[in-house]
This record gives sequence, C-alpha cells and structure tokens, in this order.
Amino acid sequence: KCFLPPGVLSHLSLLEVQARSRGSQVPQQPSRVKELKAKVEALTSQRDQLKAEAPVDKQRVDGEDEEMDVDSESSELFHLMARHSELMDLLHAHNLIGGYDAITTNRGKSMCFSLATQYEGVYLDTYNLELNLKPNVRISRHNIPPFIPLNSLAEQSDLQTDVRAFLATVSQHLNAFAGRRQQLKLVKEQHKSVEVMESNLLCSILVLMFTVPKKTPLLCTLEYTDHTRCLPTQVHLNCEDELLPDSPKWKKNCSLLMEVPVHRALTAIKKASDII
Amino acid sequence: MDNSAKHLLQRLVRRIPVSMLKSTLDKWERLTAEKRKSLDFTQSKWIITQELVALYITENPNQGMWHTFQLVEPEDDAHSVELMQFKELFKSHLRELQRNVSVKIKKHTDQAVWIRVAWGDGLSSPNHLKATYVVLYLQTPYVFVNALSSKHKPLLLQALTLSTRHQQIKAANLSGQKLTALRDLLMRQYQQVKLRVEKVQAEASANRHRMARETFGDGMLPALQSAVFKLETKFKGPTNEAMTQRDEPFICSVKFSSSNLLESLRHCASSGIASTPVTPMLSSIPLKGRNYFVITDNVLTA
Repeated sequence: KCFLPPGVLSHLSLLEVQARSRGSQVPQQPSRVKELKAKVEALTSQRDQLKAEAPVDKQRVDGEDEEMDVDSESSELFHLMARHSELMDLLHAHNLIGGYDAITTNRGKSMCFSLATQYEGVYLDTYNLELNLKPNVRISRHNIPPFIPLNSLAEQSDLQTDVRAFLATVSQHLNAFAGRRQQLKLVKEQHKSVEVMESNLLCSILVLMFTVPKKTPLLCTLEYTDHTRCLPTQVHLNCEDELLPDSPKWKKNCSLLMEVPVHRALTAIKKASDII
Repeated sequence: MDNSAKHLLQRLVRRIPVSMLKSTLDKWERLTAEKRKSLDFTQSKWIITQELVALYITENPNQGMWHTFQLVEPEDDAHSVELMQFKELFKSHLRELQRNVSVKIKKHTDQAVWIRVAWGDGLSSPNHLKATYVVLYLQTPYVFVNALSSKHKPLLLQALTLSTRHQQIKAANLSGQKLTALRDLLMRQYQQVKLRVEKVQAEASANRHRMARETFGDGMLPALQSAVFKLETKFKGPTNEAMTQRDEPFICSVKFSSSNLLESLRHCASSGIASTPVTPMLSSIPLKGRNYFVITDNVLTA
C-alpha cells in the first residue's frame, strides 16, 4: 500500500499524459542536456582565452569608454547648442519677415505680442501689447506711448476678426515713429551746425535752422503728416531773402528732403556747400 | 507755492531795491543761471514777482493739486497740430470766452507745453498770483491742470478742446500732488509689463512676485500718492441687521495714501498681504491710469 498525499496520483497521471503527447522529444532530453553542457564548456574556455589576451588593452578600453562618455556628453551639448542657434536663427528670420514674438498669458485667456522697431538695420525699442481674447478681443496692457492712437487704430481694423491686420498697422506706426525719432537723433549728432528749433513727441514735425554761406539763416519746416512713413510729406522754407527758397538750387534741396531721410539729405546739402 | 509764500515773495521783492535785485537773486542761487538770464529786470517789480512765482512753479511742479483731463474725439487734423498753431488758437479761443485774461505759453525741452493763465474779470486786471497752470503734450490726449476755479473751468476746458482740435474733454479721474507721477503713469514711461516667457514656478512666493511685477511694473514706479474708492454699494454685514435691511446704498469713501502708492501695492501683492492675482480694483490704477473710482453694486465704473 502507498501513503501518497491527495492529488499526487492525478498529478502523476497528468505527467504521464503530457509525456505521451510530447512523443519522441522526451527521450532526447538527456542527450540535449549533454549537448548544452558541452557548449557551456566550450564558451567558458573561449572566454577565458579572450580574458587572457585582454588585460593589456583593458585600460585603453576603459579609457575609450570614458572618452566616449565625454564625447557623447559634449556631443550632446554641441547638439543642443546647434539646435538652440538654429531656433534663434529661425526666430530672427521670423521677426525679419514681419512675425512677432507672441506668448499666451493669463492661462490662455490673453496673448501678448512683442513689436520690435528698427531703422536702417539698427534695432530700436520694443513695445509690448497684450490682448484679452475672451469674451471678445480687447486691448489689455501695453507700453505703447499715448501719442500712437491705439484705440482709433483698433477701431479701424476689426479686432475681432483680423488681429494680424491690426498688429501690422500698429507695427507700421511704431516703426515709422521710431524711424523719425532716430533721424532726429542722427541730425543732432551728425549736424551740429544745424539747430533744431522745434520737434514734438510724435516726431511728426521738425523745424530746423540752417546757416546759408552768406550767413543768412534759413528756417526749414518738415511736416510728416503720414504717420506710417519716415519721410516728410511737406517741406517749407522761410528766409529773410525771399528769393532764396525759390532758387533752383533750393527747390532741388526741398525735393531731396522729401525723398531722402533728413540726416542724409543734410549731408548731401552740406557737401554741395549750400549750407554750413 | 501756497498763497502765503507768494505774498511773502511779493513783499520781499518790493522791499529789495531794484539795483540790488539781480545780485540778490544771483546770491540766492535757487534759480539756474539760464532762468536768471530770462528775467527782465527793467520790468516792474510786480511783473518780476509774477515771473519768479511762475519760474518756481515750473521748477517745482510736484505741489498743489493737479487734475487730469482727457481730450476725446479728435478731429482729422488733431494729430498735426503744432506749437505755433496751438498757441494762436488757444489764446484767441480763450480771449473770445473771457476778455480779461493774460496767457503765457512756453514749451519745455521735454516737449511739455506749459500754459499760465491769469484771470481778470470785468473790473480788475488779471491776477497773476492766482494763476491757473496747464501742462499738456501735443499729440497726446492728456491735460494736467492746477489751481482752476469752478468759475473758470468751463472756459479753460473749451479753449483747450478747440485749440487741440478735439470735440470733447472729460475728467480722467487721476489727480495728485506730484505732476511727474501722474505724467509718468499716463505716458507709460516706466518699466511696465515684463512680458517674456517665464517658466511656471512651483513656488507660491515666486508666483506672487511675478504677478505683482506684471500688474504694477518693474523698477521705479511713478510716485502716485493716493487713490480714492467711493463705494455706493448695499451694506453687507451679518451682525448689523438694521444696516443690512436698508434699501439705500451705503455711501463710503476709502482712501489709500502713501509716499509711493504703486510701490506699496506691488509690495502688498508680492508679500501676500493682498491676494494674487491682483484684484481689478487695484490693478485698474496702473492699467487705466486713474486714481478715483466709484464702485456700485454691479460694476466698477466712472
């Protein structure tokens, strides 16, 4: 009689069934084990052999590993730097073709636009303008000076449907203003003999006093009535000598002042010895 | 300069012999050489006194009480009004409204146009010691006024509106002692809105600092000295039934005063004393450039 624990018999009969179903594979197991054991031995001896050959190069291998690590670190760094400069170039290009830096603020409820100004390749002031987007588009915070008529520009372009057009107009006004202001700065720097009699915050009017070679003062008024442009729309001359403004020379100079930025026009006029 | 100081100056100038007046002022050294040169000592002492008072006020604009007005509805040519044109228009419009006035207009180097109006009525000549001062910048809608009586107010405002080629002028609800603060606030001449991409900070205090700076600005803020909130709201209080039951609004006025109110408020926000995001009641001050508000039950107006 056998004292087997319950279920053992059924387990044994299951094993028997499995062995029978596996068929011919079962008897091969012992030789398979032998095979694998032989393989293990062969690989082990091969490893030992290689290990015996390795020690001289061990250092270098390790060293190379380190170099490779540094390389991979620095190459990762270089990669990031390259990516960064690529993105900066992209951003710069985006700005150049008229795009604005824009970010969402206020948990997505507003957008803030950076409007850069430049004149003759020199970056000047940057202005920021925030628009609330919900429930409708409204101007929120900004640092645009009050002589730029922001509200009337917003009324002219439909803020609700065409924010781009509105921004384009504001940018146009800002750039023109920055350009005119820069010209005034250059006149003061480059032409000390010319006296600036009057200007205004918007730089839409400029009154200059020239000294004509025979010591006659000549008053020149430049009116910039188109605030989206950097060039004057009108030039008036006033002189004690009433004939001077009508002379062909000065008529030519007036046209020049309408076509060329004032600081450069003055350089040309000085060169022609029309003024001191 | 208050009235007693003006009278004192008047008496002093009267006492000092004309021959010594120039040298006395030179020694006094309160006026710059340029300003002293502009004084014409051949004029009567009375005129010299007036000029001294005017010089003093323009040099020390942060005194008295300045009230701001805003020009609205510009005509087509409003943006091309230049100084000479404005001077002529203003003087002629004002004289049409009141015969006996003395007007002096001068533009300062910062483009500010200063106007001094001395009012006289039918009987007396213009009183220069009680002159009204106006400061404006052409092509901007804001006008700052000091020492304007209610009698002369409509006249001055009309002359200003017409000569700047606008259709209307309204109170801008911004007043204070420091002209420079009011001007800087409206001209947005301070470091406002630092709008750059900033990483979301996990720390609450960093958030508060950021929101405080975004609302009020960076660096030096215009030295606004007060803000007034006039409440016309229904009384709400659990302990006072009698008041709560009333239908009429509870009228009360809250005034904040500080040597630099905007800085105080910014600090309140960044330190957590005032909750952030900053309530529109406070953020309206720098955002809308006002310091007088009327609050009714539904909406922040006026």
